[in-house]
Amino acid sequence: MIKCPFCGTTHVANTLFCSECGTYLLEDDRRGTDPLGTDEIGWVGEGEDEHGSSPLVKGTGPLSIRLKIGDQERKVEASLEKAIHMGRLDPASDVFPEIDLTKDNGLEKGVSRRHARILKREGTVVVEDLGSINGTFINGKRLAPYLPEVLHQGDQLQLGKLLIEIELL
Amino acid sequence: MNADKNYYDILRIAPNATEEEVRKAYRALVREYHPDVNQTVEAAEIFRDIQEAYETLSSPDQRRAYNRLREAEGFDKSSALTLRGTVSHKYLLTNIEEQALYVLLDITPATDLPTARLPLNLCLVLDKSTSMQGMRLQQVKEGTRQIIDRLNDDDALGLVIFSDRAEVVLPSQTNIDKAMAKSIASTIQPSGGTEMLQGLLAGLKELERNRSTESVNHLILLTDGQTYGDEKDCLERAEWAGLHQISLTTMGVGSDWNENLLDQMATVSGGSSVYIDSPRKIVDAFKSTIRHLSSVVARELTLSINAASGITLTEAFQITPHIRRLDVQANKAVLGPLGTGHEKTILMEFRVQSESTASKKRLLRLTIEGDVPNKQDRRNWEWLDIFTEFISKQEHPPEIPPALVTALGKLAIFKMQEKAMTDLEQGRISAATQRLETMATRLLNLGETDLARAALLEAGRLARTGDLSAEGRKKIRYGTRALSILPKEIRRD
Repeated sequence: MIKCPFCGTTHVANTLFCSECGTYLLEDDRRGTDPLGTDEIGWVGEGEDEHGSSPLVKGTGPLSIRLKIGDQERKVEASLEKAIHMGRLDPASDVFPEIDLTKDNGLEKGVSRRHARILKREGTVVVEDLGSINGTFINGKRLAPYLPEVLHQGDQLQLGKLLIEIELL
Repeated sequence: MNADKNYYDILRIAPNATEEEVRKAYRALVREYHPDVNQTVEAAEIFRDIQEAYETLSSPDQRRAYNRLREAEGFDKSSALTLRGTVSHKYLLTNIEEQALYVLLDITPATDLPTARLPLNLCLVLDKSTSMQGMRLQQVKEGTRQIIDRLNDDDALGLVIFSDRAEVVLPSQTNIDKAMAKSIASTIQPSGGTEMLQGLLAGLKELERNRSTESVNHLILLTDGQTYGDEKDCLERAEWAGLHQISLTTMGVGSDWNENLLDQMATVSGGSSVYIDSPRKIVDAFKSTIRHLSSVVARELTLSINAASGITLTEAFQITPHIRRLDVQANKAVLGPLGTGHEKTILMEFRVQSESTASKKRLLRLTIEGDVPNKQDRRNWEWLDIFTEFISKQEHPPEIPPALVTALGKLAIFKMQEKAMTDLEQGRISAATQRLETMATRLLNLGETDLARAALLEAGRLARTGDLSAEGRKKIRYGTRALSILPKEIRRD
């Protein structure tokens, strides 16, 4: 017999999903994102718009983006032709982000499976939080979920506690 | 080469196995039955068979010759259906009381199957009640015209409109004058209430005119209202239709119709029901239904599950084209028609009593039977055996095939929805609310934000008012069942 870590229902051995709450029961490393304390993340507060620029600026803008991720400063370059999803790879939940942050200690740093995405909109580059648990920040300012904000050269992007430096190419 | 022996069975591979698969299967079996390993008389015989099978199947020329010989002798009959099985656990532990095992079964038409389109025998039964006035009726007319355009000469079409009573505006006929049929469709005027039974009876009667065992007999019923007092009769007629090779597509427009009834009518006839939340989607629904009907290559598919002792089926679901619970009676389940590009995936959950000693065991034989009108021999069947190995100790955590985990994850949400509805029916409001909330979390994880939002909204409404909205009910029901097909922007492989 095995027990669901989420709701406590017991199931026969080898059961893969809890019939009561739908939890995947084979997550030996407890891959769920645990909420971190807000003070740990360095939350500054909403409402202070430092840039004030509208995302609806015409023009071609940058073609690709370079990210410097985490303490190890892992460098990733990605084309802005399509939206770039960031999060933790999890085939079980059908999540396949373009930029998988598992290797960058994503789990410990509070990165959600579907955390945020970067895309081009009307010539500017914007980042959108996808309803992540621990939030997405630009230069310390927390984004409202599903509300895209413009990214600028050298901006400090933060997913949960994971720092990412932005370079537009 | 001996055509009396089934070399594919001997090597435990499918008739369409690749050369690589043949080689792999052979190596695995040699390790098991080689005289150096296994000295029993039985093993020696099996080993000889394995050698013989491999010699033939490993050479493309010989394999072709063998296939021809088998076919000429009336074996195999180059089946019209291809089955592929995926098992959750390749190894099961000995000495555990009971364990779960999941099997995913893909059913596709064989690639060499003639895809000549079967003649359609179609009847449209359309609601013209006052509530259909405006955009709804306009779109229904447009959808009907699109269907007429897609008909061949040997297709039959009948047109029935209903409100308080039914009216046959186009008696079922082949070689339709398309311009005339379209102008008839254009003259439909809204009036009256919704009495579905009248429309259904008239529609079935029209279908009878051109019904044959060669054609795809189908009735499309579209309504936007509740029918009162004749639900039981409607269901009975739908069942009757199913028994007479007529399947139903039931379409509900807006939110004021009975989803339980339309759903059941579709299911008992081997068809499907469609929720159309906006009139703009009516034309698409019509088009996709006719496309689906035109692609049908096999009909009346049934699945038989033969399990070895100690193995019992707990539940079975169709995953694609959309999720639905299968009604398994006496080890058999009705699967309905199979079309090209509409492959069926079935997910089964079993309980397995453990073997006491380490051994290899055949757990299941899954058989699919169906009527394939384009084949000379119309009755077709194909089967697949599922094996597992009992071992005393597991070195590594099991590797579950991702396809199975993905399917199960979506099914888990569908089942939660089912449970929430049962809770609600039985008056357990807070339990139902909680389930909807949990469901919303799971949906968010899958990236299904719209459906998650609908679930949360309804959870809130349920907590406040003790009931769901008619629209929310349908959104959740039809949304969760379609989880398996929604192409997601983030989904790539």
